[in-house]
Amino acid sequence: MLQKLDELFKEFQNTLNTINTQADVLNLKSEYLGKKGPISDILKGLKNATVEERKDLGPKANQIKNEIQELTVKKLAFIETEAINQKLASEKIDTSLLNSVMVHGQEHGGFHPITKIQQEIEDIFLSMGFGILDGPHIEDEFHNFEALNVPSDHPARDMQDTFWLQGSETPEGERHLLRTHTSCVQVHGMLANKPPFKFIAPGKVFRCERTDASHESVFHQLEGMLVGKDISVGNLIYFMKTLLSEIFKKEVEVRLRPGFFPFVEPGFELDIRCLICNGKGCSVCKQVGWVELLPCGMVHPNVLKAGNIDPNEWNGFAFGLGLDRLVMMRYGIDDIRHLQSGDVRFVSQFKSY
Amino acid sequence: MLISIDWIKDFAKLPVVDPQELAIKFTMGTAEVEDVILSDVYLENISVAEITKIDQHPDADKLNLVSFNTGTTEKQVVCGAGNVKVGMKVPYAPLGTEFPNGLVLEPKKIRGVLSEGMLCSEEELNLAKESSGLMELNDSATLGQNMLEYLKVKTDILLDIDNKSLTHRPDLWGHFGLAREFSAVFKSQFVNPYDGNWTKKLEKNFNKEASPICPKVEKDSCCKAYFGLSLKNIKVTDSPKWMTDRLTAVGLRPINNIVDISNYVMLELGIPLHIFDRSLIEGEKIVIGKVQDETIFVTLDEIERKLITGDTVISDSSKPLVLAGIMGGLNSGVSNNTSDIFIEVANWKAAEVRKTSTRLGLRTDSSQRYEKTLDSQLCYKTLLRTLELILELCPGAEVIGRPEYAGDDLSKIKSLEIQTTANSICKQLGKEIDQKEIVSIFESLDFLVETRADQLKITVPTYRATKDIDCEADLVEEIGRIIGYDNISPCSPLLEVSPVKLDPAQKLHREIKNFLVNNGGCFEVMTYPLVGEKLLKKADLLTGLEIKILNDLSKDNDRLRSSMIPGFLQAIALNSKHEDEVKIFELGRTYHPSKKGFSEDRNIVAAAFFSKEGNSFLELSNASERLLNNLNIPGTLEKKHPKFKNMAIDEEWSGLHPYEFFNIKVMGKPLGSVFSIHPLMLRNFKIKGHLSIMLLDLSSFEGRPLKEKTKYRPISKFPGSHFDYTVEVERELQVGNVLEVLQKIKLKEALKHSVLDIFQGSGDKRSVTIRTLFGDPEKTLSGDFLKEAEQTIINQLQKSGFPLK
Repeated sequence: MLQKLDELFKEFQNTLNTINTQADVLNLKSEYLGKKGPISDILKGLKNATVEERKDLGPKANQIKNEIQELTVKKLAFIETEAINQKLASEKIDTSLLNSVMVHGQEHGGFHPITKIQQEIEDIFLSMGFGILDGPHIEDEFHNFEALNVPSDHPARDMQDTFWLQGSETPEGERHLLRTHTSCVQVHGMLANKPPFKFIAPGKVFRCERTDASHESVFHQLEGMLVGKDISVGNLIYFMKTLLSEIFKKEVEVRLRPGFFPFVEPGFELDIRCLICNGKGCSVCKQVGWVELLPCGMVHPNVLKAGNIDPNEWNGFAFGLGLDRLVMMRYGIDDIRHLQSGDVRFVSQFKSY
Repeated sequence: MLISIDWIKDFAKLPVVDPQELAIKFTMGTAEVEDVILSDVYLENISVAEITKIDQHPDADKLNLVSFNTGTTEKQVVCGAGNVKVGMKVPYAPLGTEFPNGLVLEPKKIRGVLSEGMLCSEEELNLAKESSGLMELNDSATLGQNMLEYLKVKTDILLDIDNKSLTHRPDLWGHFGLAREFSAVFKSQFVNPYDGNWTKKLEKNFNKEASPICPKVEKDSCCKAYFGLSLKNIKVTDSPKWMTDRLTAVGLRPINNIVDISNYVMLELGIPLHIFDRSLIEGEKIVIGKVQDETIFVTLDEIERKLITGDTVISDSSKPLVLAGIMGGLNSGVSNNTSDIFIEVANWKAAEVRKTSTRLGLRTDSSQRYEKTLDSQLCYKTLLRTLELILELCPGAEVIGRPEYAGDDLSKIKSLEIQTTANSICKQLGKEIDQKEIVSIFESLDFLVETRADQLKITVPTYRATKDIDCEADLVEEIGRIIGYDNISPCSPLLEVSPVKLDPAQKLHREIKNFLVNNGGCFEVMTYPLVGEKLLKKADLLTGLEIKILNDLSKDNDRLRSSMIPGFLQAIALNSKHEDEVKIFELGRTYHPSKKGFSEDRNIVAAAFFSKEGNSFLELSNASERLLNNLNIPGTLEKKHPKFKNMAIDEEWSGLHPYEFFNIKVMGKPLGSVFSIHPLMLRNFKIKGHLSIMLLDLSSFEGRPLKEKTKYRPISKFPGSHFDYTVEVERELQVGNVLEVLQKIKLKEALKHSVLDIFQGSGDKRSVTIRTLFGDPEKTLSGDFLKEAEQTIINQLQKSGFPLK
């Protein structure tokens, strides 16, 4: 009898290997395990067997039943997977046709590099507690010059070639102009806030200057101002060093040297150790190892006065960064005119993050 | 501006330092040195040699093999000069010598014979413009002596200083003042030869004779001070070598001793002066006054200048002689025959000199200095120094009379005094500095210091107080720059902590940019805010109301944009040449005249979708709708309204597509628009394809924070049900017409109607399948109710001309 069971099981396995449909498998299973199936027959015959025989035969029959059950489930799962895989094979798409290989369609969008660097700097200053201010591009002489300690006969007005606007003369003789620097926002900021305060002001500025690869009449600056009590040159150096190390993502060596700007006293030119040659001298730094980066200084008492702030009680520092220059330095851009060309071949090179 | 260190050493005992070091220290302490030039150093390499033998070159007729003695060895060169002869002494340049023209002597064979250097001509040594043959040296010249010694030339270090960094320092426009500065920077001794004794010695030349010329200053002129001195028995010749060397070194061309003296004194003391040929002055008076009527005046450079009312001139009884502070006239200049002269040392008002020189486009060494505001008190010293040099260079010259003065009362010029303390200076710099050191720095810069305990009373030298120094902050700079800003350690200030954040407009701007880049797939661009008539005409957007620039650089950029469209048409025209599809945007400003103030800047978002083959109007409209929804801007896209005209674009503009147009209504106002550009306008810009533009004016709502209006509602427990149905729509009509009918049905359980499918049949009708969602938050809708509602919808559509299919 035991032998018969083994033979039956072998027979089942052989048949199972030859069939390939769900129905056939189910039929085969019920054929063997059904009430009238051979295994049932053997089990029915158990009552005629000896106690000894029963002891072996019972468990053996159950074991074979279970194995048939298990093989059936496996086979069914195999058939189903095969069917699905076949369907997937027939529905196969051409995965090589990404947008990036097609003629049509932009692959991605992107920010203008000025926006990127501006937001980056804004975030650095926000994290240090500076607010962000904005101001009009069209200003009057008071905000652009007078309040910044540049009276009308001051030679400094030579340094800033101003675009004057037509029909702008007020009855008091004040003329309107396109702001030549973001420093005007210092004046707005002082008049709108009570010290202590600190803010930055990014934006477009305009100079009546011929355009070439390194000069634009429309460009971008970022002004900064901090007014408080007992602010020192040491404090200014601290903020500039922190800012520049964040921007260039490494420790930056800076140096201050005297520079003349009417709205600050003392005034400085801030140089950074050339990042290209680490100060050894190269074409970027004109062999001197330092690159002139930004003008800054302690706010002139006359400027504070024009902003209704008592210079005997308060003082502070201010600085101005040229954003176009920073962008050009970071990406090695050779011509400033690309920035406002609207050319997608240019802007598409700067991806976000 | 070039300055000569040799000249500076007349007054400053500078330590011996490397020229580069000199430049760096001056840059860090005073003003930017842009370049360091070492003059004549190549002469040190070149030495006296004597020709000992001349042989014919074996392979060349015109070349000789010249042997010579350098004092230590015999050498041979190949030489083509015609004047070679044995016994002649000549300058010899060994291999490695670098000439002023950049040529470096390298070992080289000439027609097969090695030449060990070069024998030089005067031209090669930069001693003459041209020369033929070798330079012949004195027979007595010592062999081996270098040419610097032979020619008695001193090498010099020239520093090129950035003029702009001296804008506020008129005292540094002469070597005397620079020397004082160098002494302070290098903490070395400053020698002032122009002291009281010197003055007395020169004043001995004055006498009781009547001065032949006296100045008279008219009240309204720009003259602050005017000294005149007459001399006779002048002999005009060439200047001595020491003077021409110095003038040449700093870039001035020597002319004759008198003209050279006036330049030399200006470059030394920083005060310009003018010397007239006295015989050309008519009458006994010169008058300093304003031009009354427009007149033509020929300046020394032989150019006719048109003078206008208000320009100050110095005139004799019949004609103008000098354009005050700028340039003398051709009619009274010193010539080779001059024997009588009149010296003018004057001071002029900076602003007026600047105005006239700017108008005439005539910036001279003189006007550049006056523009910086000079100190009248230096005029007398300048006059004496001029006299000293004239007497030195023309020993026969004699003064007639004495200096004649006109102008402001010089004794009334008060010194500026500023009160400060060492502590205050240290606090502002952020560095501890000893009071003694502070006092010594001030003194080295010629400031007078009176110390009373910790109080310092500083008297500013008058030449520093004309514009530069007027308050304590200016004193802080003096100490800071001499101490060296490098010696100040960075440290954070103690500041109150307060929250900061972007204001609503800044936040909105960032969100818009983020959305358009990350969701809209656009590139951010910047188009030019300055435009011109040509472009505006091409875009048919010339209103004449644009804000115009008075001093434009080009007609293409002579006004401010009042619309983003022309710039965008230009940008698309450029990009459509290279791309089949372009999506760009800009958040920029437009500029408009304003009734309230002079003008108004408006922040505008502009986006443009271009497609060579397709139509991007719907894509852009969808993006615009998503922008409003994502940013929670209360806005919708709506059709043109007969009454409420769009505020972002003129609806009559010829560039508009007749059908593809939406108002973007924000808070009830049509502040923006999505539209396509008319093919005829595209043709103007040579754009081949389809272009849609979105404009949204943010200025009226960006400043207000958006209120959080979201109210949570529990998710409905009762399932809704769909009703799909198909209606027939005339091809002429829009599906939107069907939706409008549906929206008018008053049935609160009909939550939403949306288009499921459109079938474009072959006839003149389209089949549109619509899905209506029914639902009620309170209950499950009954089958009877749904049947009734569906019937209502079908009936209404039928009535409106959209029968069920």
